[in-house]
Amino acid sequence: MTDTAPLAKPRSQWADVWVQFKTHKGALVGLFVFVSLVLFVSVGPLIWAKDPTFINPDGATMIRTRNKPPSLEWPLGTDQLGRDMLARMMKGGQVSIAVGLTAMVISITLGTFVGVIAGYFKRLDNVLMRVTDLFLALPLLPLLLVMAMLFRDPLSKAFGTEGGTFLLIVVAIGLTSWMQAARVVRGEVLALKEREFVLAARSIGTPSRRMILRHILPNVMSPIMVAATLGIANAIITESALSFLGLGFPPDFPTWGRLLFDGAEYIQQFPERVIWPGVAISLTVLSVNYIGDGLRDALDPRIRGR
Amino acid sequence: MLDAKPSVKLVTKLVEVKDLKMYFPIHTGLFRRHTGDVKAVDGINFDIYQGETLGLVGESGCGKSTVGRALLRLYELTAGSVTIEGEDIATLEPEALRKKRPMMQMVFQDPQACLNPRMTVAQIVSEPLDEHTDWSADQKLAKVYELMDAVGLNRVFANRYPHAFSGGQRQRIGIARALALNPKFIVCDEPIAALDVSIQAQVVNLLEDLQEKLGLTYLFISHDLSMVRHIADRVAVMYLGRIAEISPREPLYADPLHPYAKALLSAVPDPDPSREATRQRIILKGDVPSPSNPPKGCNFCTRCPEVIPICREVKPELAEVRPGRFVACHLVPAQNNNAAGSTSGTTVQKHNQQGEPEQ
Repeated sequence: MTDTAPLAKPRSQWADVWVQFKTHKGALVGLFVFVSLVLFVSVGPLIWAKDPTFINPDGATMIRTRNKPPSLEWPLGTDQLGRDMLARMMKGGQVSIAVGLTAMVISITLGTFVGVIAGYFKRLDNVLMRVTDLFLALPLLPLLLVMAMLFRDPLSKAFGTEGGTFLLIVVAIGLTSWMQAARVVRGEVLALKEREFVLAARSIGTPSRRMILRHILPNVMSPIMVAATLGIANAIITESALSFLGLGFPPDFPTWGRLLFDGAEYIQQFPERVIWPGVAISLTVLSVNYIGDGLRDALDPRIRGR
Repeated sequence: MLDAKPSVKLVTKLVEVKDLKMYFPIHTGLFRRHTGDVKAVDGINFDIYQGETLGLVGESGCGKSTVGRALLRLYELTAGSVTIEGEDIATLEPEALRKKRPMMQMVFQDPQACLNPRMTVAQIVSEPLDEHTDWSADQKLAKVYELMDAVGLNRVFANRYPHAFSGGQRQRIGIARALALNPKFIVCDEPIAALDVSIQAQVVNLLEDLQEKLGLTYLFISHDLSMVRHIADRVAVMYLGRIAEISPREPLYADPLHPYAKALLSAVPDPDPSREATRQRIILKGDVPSPSNPPKGCNFCTRCPEVIPICREVKPELAEVRPGRFVACHLVPAQNNNAAGSTSGTTVQKHNQQGEPEQ
C-alpha cells in the first residue's frame, strides 16, 4: 500500500442505511404492503369512483341493494344502507392512515422531546416526569370526551367539519399517548449521558443542543422506533373508539374504525364486513412494525453489514 | 546534575492547580437533604510545566480521574483554581470556556465507551473541527486524513464505525480526536488501562512520539507504575483525594520519601528474577477510609506503618523537602533537613515547585 489513488469520499450514511434495509426481508415486505395500502386509499378512489356515502334516495332500490355479498358491481359487497363497501374502505383508509401517522408523529415528537429534556437536564427532570405521571394517571377516555366536547365546535368552524374533527382527534390522541415514549426515552438518555463519549464531546466544547442532536438522539432511536410503530396502531384504534362514541367523525363519515364498529352488529350474518377493516388495520400496523424493525436495524452500524 | 541551576527549558508553567477541591454531594433521607460530601479531591496543588509529562498515580478510587476531569472543567469545581496559560478555567464563562477548549483535550480510559457507536471515524475525528472551525468539508476531511496518518490509522478506515476496530485502534481514534485542534495540554486518563499489554506499548510510544513532534504537555493518569516510570518526567502520588508526594521520576522510584509512596512503589514487580526474589514489599493493613469521611489529620494515618501521634491531629501540607521534591508528611521534613542539608533556603517552601533540572 504505497501511494494510493485519492480516496473516495466517505459515503453518505443514508446509502448504507438503504443497503442494509434492503437485506431485511420483513422490512421490504412491510414497505411493499404499506405502500400498496397507501396507494389503495389514495389512488384507489380515482379509479373506483363511487361515492362512499351514497345512499340510494329511492327507498325500494336502497332496500334491494342492502347487505349485498361481493359481486362485480360491489366487489366488497354493500352495507346495511346499501353503500359500497370498497369505496368506504378506501375513503375510510385515507382518514385512518392519516390519523394514525399524524397522531403518532405528534405523540413521538412530544414524548421524545420531553424524555430527552428530562433525561438530559437534571433540573427539569423532576418537573417533567411528574407532569408525565400526571398524564398517565388521567383517565384517558373521559379526558378525550371532554376535549372533544370543548373544542369540536370552534375547530369545526375554523377548519370545516372534517378538517376540524381531524385536527381535534389527532391532537387529542397525540396529547394523551406520549407518556410511554417519554419515560422510555428518559431512561435511555440517563444511561447514555454517563457514557464517556458524551463526556468526550463535552471536553471538545459541544454545546447541549448539538450534543443532543449528534450524540443522544441517534442512540435512542431504537426505543423511539418501537414506540412509534406501536403508536400508529393505538391511534387508529383510539380514533375508532372516539368515532364510535360519537365524538370523532360524524357517523356517516367512514373510517376503518367506524366500519369495524358498524360491522360488529352484523358479525353473525356478514362477518366479512368486520374482516375487511380489521385486516386493513392489522396490515397497516404490521407493515409499519416491520418497517420500523428494519429501519432500526439499518440505523445501527453495529448490525449493519451482517 | 541535581544541584544545577533551574534549567531554562522547563520554567514556563502551563497548568497551575491551586487548592483544587472536588466534592460530590450526598443526599439522603426523604427530603434528599445534603448530608455530606464524597471528598474525591480534597485540596491539591501542583504545576505542570510546558512540554513535560506529569504522571499521576494512586490506587483506584483515590481521585486521579476526578483530578483529570476537573482540570478540563468537565465537573464544576467545589473550590480552588486551575490556571491554564494564565486563564482560570474554574471561573470562565461558558462561552469563554468553549473558546478555550481547543487547547486542552482529553484521551479517555475506555476506548470502546468514548466513541459514539453511531458515528464513523471521520465524523468522530472531525467533531472538534465542526465545533471550532468554519472549514469546508474538504478541508476537514484533509485534516482528518492527516490526523489518521499521525496516529497510524489507515486512511481507508475513515468510513468505518468504532465497533469494527480493535481496542488499540480505537484508542488511536480517541487520540486523533484529541489532537484535532492542536491542543497544548492533554489529559490522558488511564489511556492504556483497557488495552492488551502488547498494545499498551504501542499506544504509549505513539503518545511519546506525538509529544516530541508537537510539543505536547501531558497529565498522564495511570495505576500502572512501570508505565508511568517509562513516560513521565515527574510523578505525583495521590492517596484519598490528596497528593502524598510529587517528585521527579528517578529520585521517586529510587528513593520514595512519603510512606505511602514507599508502599506503592514496593509493589512494582522487578523484571530481574534475582532482584525480584529479594524485593521487600510493604503490605499496608486495613482498607482505604471512605472519602466521605476521611480521617482527621493525615489522610494516610490509619494505615501508615510509620505513624506518629501528630499525624492523627494535623494535616501535613505539601512542602518542598528536597529540590524539586514535594512531600506531605510530618516525618519527612524533620529527617531531611539534617540529612539533605542542601541549599539553605529550600527547606519548607510551600507550593513553590521547581521543575526537575533537565539532564
